[in-house]
Amino acid sequence: MKTKIRIGLALLLAALTLAGCGDEPGSDLPVNTRLGGDFTLTDHNGEPFRLSSLEDRVVILFFGYTHCPDICPAVLARVAQAYRNLDEQGDAGPVQPVFITFDPERDTPAHLREYLPWFKADIIGLTGSVAEIEAVAEQYGVVFLKTDGQDEAYDFTHSDYIYLLDRQGRVRKLYPADFDIDEVVHDVQSLL
Amino acid sequence: MMFKAFFKPVALAALLGLSATPAAAGDLEISDAWLRAVPPVSPTMAGYFELRNRGDRVVKLEGADVDFAGGAMLHDSRTGEDGQRRMVHLDSVRIDPGDRVRFAPGGKHLMLMKLSQVPRAGESVEVCLTFANHDDLCTDFPVRHSAP
Repeated sequence: MKTKIRIGLALLLAALTLAGCGDEPGSDLPVNTRLGGDFTLTDHNGEPFRLSSLEDRVVILFFGYTHCPDICPAVLARVAQAYRNLDEQGDAGPVQPVFITFDPERDTPAHLREYLPWFKADIIGLTGSVAEIEAVAEQYGVVFLKTDGQDEAYDFTHSDYIYLLDRQGRVRKLYPADFDIDEVVHDVQSLL
Repeated sequence: MMFKAFFKPVALAALLGLSATPAAAGDLEISDAWLRAVPPVSPTMAGYFELRNRGDRVVKLEGADVDFAGGAMLHDSRTGEDGQRRMVHLDSVRIDPGDRVRFAPGGKHLMLMKLSQVPRAGESVEVCLTFANHDDLCTDFPVRHSAP
């Protein structure tokens, strides 16, 4: 009986080791099986964009809106800095920052096309219908709520995590809005 | 960067040699002022600073006048118990005598809206903070990519 248990434990341990990625890049970044998945939205050129079309790229995915004055531009700037740091080290080629707006009414493809290049990080901007964006947000555990403001202005209450996706499109790590740039650079490099 | 302003009544009282109004009433200092650089097509930008009330009267900050902005609001980015970030509009910010208030990324900030032009990183632009009970406090805000 004890022998059978030992064998069973050994097999289980072996299986866990394999599931734990083994020699896979970023093996210290566990796969988050509860969040993520493929989706299709509209990119800043007005074309359909499917996440899985970025096959074999590490993706830095984040949500926001361009009328947000405080957190969103700060996150964009930090993601852009991480990308440029990777670029300086010759590692930006297989990396793709992706920004999804909460605010399709104001963040049209044309506006995203004008707004995002300023950050010099080759960021893909995505928009869509409210229903489409809500569906993607749910996949990634993002909550956002439009709040009325004064003078026809409105804002969003929202979660502000940044998602690191591996080359298979799986979520490997979440970061807070004030993430450490060097940490993201290191994590991205571990997935290359 | 430091800038001081005084209540008009105080200045007038000083000129007239009067002493009915406390001499130190309501002087303010602003420091660490800056605007976050944003894309030229950005509809908004945020300002940050520290404001200190060295006077002996409560001062209420209400907003700002800026030539290139059609409006300015005081906001606070707050994280709720649910982990959600929400932006709260503040009608005013009270600064007690001897106290200071800090506007910093991820917290209180001055939101400039309806921008007719967007100043670029490296430029400095004048921002006049407005109060319920104090003269405007005008100073240059350098435009930067990150906090000083």
